Amino acid sequence: MECKQAASLMHDYLDNELPEEQALDLKSHLDRCVSCRTRLKELEQTDMLMFAAVKHSLPSASDDVLNQIMSNLPKKRRQQPWLGWVKRHPALTAAAMFLLVMLFSTLSIWKSDDQLVVKGADLDKVRIEGHTVIVPEGTAIAGDLTIENGNTEVYGEVEGNLTVIDGSLYQASTAKIAGDAKTIDQALDWIWYRITNTFTEVAYR
Amino acid sequence: MAELSDAGLVKLARKGNQDAFAELVELYKDKVFHLAYRMLNNRHESEDIVQETFLRVYKNWDKYDENQKFSTWMYRIATNLCIDRLRKRKPNFSLDAELNDQDGTADGYSLIPGDNRTPESEFLLSETQQIIHQAIAGLPAKYKTIMILRYLQELSLQEIGDILNMPVTTVKTRVHRGREFLRKRLEHKLF
Repeated sequence: MECKQAASLMHDYLDNELPEEQALDLKSHLDRCVSCRTRLKELEQTDMLMFAAVKHSLPSASDDVLNQIMSNLPKKRRQQPWLGWVKRHPALTAAAMFLLVMLFSTLSIWKSDDQLVVKGADLDKVRIEGHTVIVPEGTAIAGDLTIENGNTEVYGEVEGNLTVIDGSLYQASTAKIAGDAKTIDQALDWIWYRITNTFTEVAYR
Repeated sequence: MAELSDAGLVKLARKGNQDAFAELVELYKDKVFHLAYRMLNNRHESEDIVQETFLRVYKNWDKYDENQKFSTWMYRIATNLCIDRLRKRKPNFSLDAELNDQDGTADGYSLIPGDNRTPESEFLLSETQQIIHQAIAGLPAKYKTIMILRYLQELSLQEIGDILNMPVTTVKTRVHRGREFLRKRLEHKLF
């Protein structure tokens, strides 16, 4: 064995990582080589001195360190559970925000608007008395009829759909409505109506 | 609370339990302090390191991997902070470059003045101990960290590798070289 190899084995020995077989090889080399024997002795002494010196006379941290650490901790930011949800579902959040904005804007329109509005293709035959829209007996209205913010009384005939928003609908026994007759007086129905109407209006423009 | 194992404390502390965190600090503050003290030789800076280490632990719980030993993770933070300090403190030139105007044995390391800020305890040290401490102080940083972890905390080579994020073989080589370095330093003075 050469001295160089012996040196590397010595370190393994000091690291407690030298297999028995190699330890025997090293021993037989040391028996023959004085300089390696001295070297191992010095290394061992270095090791022992290090263990002793490094640990010796270590001051301890001041008692205040714990308090300082604890008082310097950042204030806990209690993260809201919903915030976590928002971070995980950005698309849903955007959709929800959109709906919310829609809801409020439409609601505000719904609340503020109390003007009587009558929409239809054939309005000549319709009679309006105050807040009441009357389809007189014996008349036939061609196409759809929409009434907002007013009461509706139908004695005659409507050949399309009849929609009454935010008002009451009275159908006399003589009334004939070819299409659907609906009354919308709830916010959600109203919003749904606005949305579908917006889209169809846009589509037809 | 004292009955809880490290892992139990860590779990509680991670969930935001401040008492558990305080307990962890209490358990480990001296170890971090000693490590820093041996690296930096300065009491004040070492206390800073202790504070900074636990602050980072607290802020980075979400980066902690529970399969890892808490102490390993904590030592890693602490050693990185110490190495940063040493780097800032020392002038920036290559220590390994040989210096021509010196006799052949000298390199940059021998030119670094010993840290003269002698801590109070050093007055009480025997000459032998002072020689050893100077030898440790003279170790290049990359060996110093490893030797301190090895001799101060008696960590295994594997653990040191985990802390410093390097393969065990590298740690081994550096321990060997560090030991030889110290042996040569002490050779004429002590043996």
